[in-house]
Amino acid sequence: MSGQGESDMDYSDDEAGYGDYYAEADTYDLEQVDISKSDPEYFEFECLSVEEVERLLNESVEMLSNSLKILSIKDLNIYEKVCNNNKLLSGCTQITPALAKVLLHTHKWAIQEVTDKYRSDSQALLVESQIEPRPESSTSHRRQQRSLRSNSNVPLICAVCVEATNEGYFRLACGHSFCSLCWVMHFQVQISQGVSTGITCMAPGCEVLATEDFALKIITLPDLRKKYQQFTFQDYVKSHPQLRFCPGPNCQVIVRAKLPKAKKCFCQSCKTAFCFNCGIDYHAPTDCVTVKKWLTKCADDSETANYISAHTKDCPKCHICIEKNGGCNHMQCYSCKHDFCWMCLGDWKTHGSEYYECSRYKDNPNIANESAHAQAREALKKYLHYYERWENHSKSLKLEEQHFKKVSKKITGKVMNSGSGTWIDWQYLLDASNLLAKCRYTLQYTYPYAYYMEPSSRKELFEYQQASLEAEIENLSWKIERAESTDRGDLENQMDVAEKRRLTLLKDFLNV
Amino acid sequence: MCSLPRRIIKETQRLMQEPVPGISAVPDDNNARYFHVIVTGPEDSPFEGGLFKLELFLPEDYPMSAPKVRFITKIYHPNIDRLGRICLDILKDKWSPALQIRTVLLSIQALLSAPNPDDPLANDVAELWKVNEAEAIRNAKEWTRRYAMDN
Ligand SMILES: [Zn+2]
Ligand SMILES: [Zn+2]
Ligand SMILES: [Zn+2]
Ligand SMILES: [Zn+2]
Ligand SMILES: [Zn+2]
Ligand SMILES: [Zn+2]
Repeated sequence: MSGQGESDMDYSDDEAGYGDYYAEADTYDLEQVDISKSDPEYFEFECLSVEEVERLLNESVEMLSNSLKILSIKDLNIYEKVCNNNKLLSGCTQITPALAKVLLHTHKWAIQEVTDKYRSDSQALLVESQIEPRPESSTSHRRQQRSLRSNSNVPLICAVCVEATNEGYFRLACGHSFCSLCWVMHFQVQISQGVSTGITCMAPGCEVLATEDFALKIITLPDLRKKYQQFTFQDYVKSHPQLRFCPGPNCQVIVRAKLPKAKKCFCQSCKTAFCFNCGIDYHAPTDCVTVKKWLTKCADDSETANYISAHTKDCPKCHICIEKNGGCNHMQCYSCKHDFCWMCLGDWKTHGSEYYECSRYKDNPNIANESAHAQAREALKKYLHYYERWENHSKSLKLEEQHFKKVSKKITGKVMNSGSGTWIDWQYLLDASNLLAKCRYTLQYTYPYAYYMEPSSRKELFEYQQASLEAEIENLSWKIERAESTDRGDLENQMDVAEKRRLTLLKDFLNV
Repeated sequence: MCSLPRRIIKETQRLMQEPVPGISAVPDDNNARYFHVIVTGPEDSPFEGGLFKLELFLPEDYPMSAPKVRFITKIYHPNIDRLGRICLDILKDKWSPALQIRTVLLSIQALLSAPNPDDPLANDVAELWKVNEAEAIRNAKEWTRRYAMDN
């Protein structure tokens, strides 16, 4: 069974022997070879709760502050040996956990990168991470503050509220002091605008960030504290390359992948499936950037494309009106029994077996010499070709899902009432429907991929594989819709062929 | 109406006692947070000789949030749109609670002296300002004469 998929690729005659050799080797080693190589969609991920992620982030914070502590002690020793000066000691910023959190957040949680930067130039790192002010701006303000402080009989005046008081002043590393009431209001306004990790000092032009411990010292209102902590948590997760919020509605789950890739993951809690990299619907073999471009284009051009979403077409032979109510694109006219393709209205007999011309868009080779108007028309024609197929497979998926529900009901009826077979006997039909959905989903996402491909031999290969997949999917759909009159072995064989075609295409073209 | 924060009272007092040259800002009789502003077109700018009316409002959470400012007099400027809205960083993300009405008005005056077509709000104006500055300046002068000079 396993050799069969490879022999379908006979078109590369010159390399057939070579390919066969590996096909054989693969079969024997299948058990030992890890699945990450044999399954192009293999992806390791885990679903975590908010508490688990908090623990994970705290571990990173702890790890970083420990390694920086060791570094600064080492630095100090060297420094003391070189010259006997305690300047470093006084000027050195102690890396508290709150500061470590800022460092990690601004460096996408790359502990090693932060440690390296700290080792080579700790001051530059602190400035770059907006923990310390830029050298030129800090000195004047610090001096100003100091002169204000030295004269302790005169009450300080807060530059924001212009009230004078001698207590309750707070400042960040930049030294800009403001009264606690003003700080509270500043935090209130910023948090109400959804800002949390990005809240800066109140002085004009000062970019020093308010650290978490500073914020929590200022904010005493429980509701505001809670909101602040929720927002910072969201920011931390978003800046962490290994973490993704589940996009499912009202879902709290965070998916973690230690090796992040643009691959399919799904939430164990709400069952939403999505691309780990971009967070939208999974889209192999198309990449994240291309699929986004495609979806934007479809949304922009939805008016133009709307006319094709009709549910009815005329039979190409007897011209009777036919409504499509199943997912299969292999149609049979109920009146004249003519077999044809719903997409291109071509004869099905020349469609399934021979080179499959239906999915491929034939570029006009002379288009460069045509008028701008003709080129625009050609561009629209090309887009509509791909859009029509994309949209059609999406609709087929929905129709097949409805059919699947009907089948499940029917099976329940058969098992419960007429006693024909057991649940296990009918399981294959449910498996077949699931596999069909999986294959058609991939097929749908081959269209944006092909649309943006430049004409090349690689595109030809892609379209050849796309066409083969499409043919086998329609065969499978046809057989599932007629499952009661189809031989079970035949159906299972068809499942196997369709899935092999899908995997072959992904192995060759899924680059993540 | 609730009592006015000391900060606003102080700022208003200072604006009246030592006004910024070329700018007048007077609080409304019925609302101390609403200011009637008149900015004189800076010398050596296409707006010279014009008097530009603006409105300035201090929102509830001022000074934590920036004042809202808008040109009422029509003006041909790449950073001011048809509705009189102003593209100025300190009125948006660069706002700091320690900045004042005075600083905002000074910045607006500076914007009239030095338009910045690379950070435009009125795209057609900015485009012309970049492609054909002479013609843009002619337009600005014409608008100043037409909308900012009588009364
Ligand atoms: Zn204050
Ligand atoms: Zn500061
Ligand atoms: Zn979920
Ligand atoms: Zn993606
Ligand atoms: Zn017919
Ligand atoms: Zn066709």
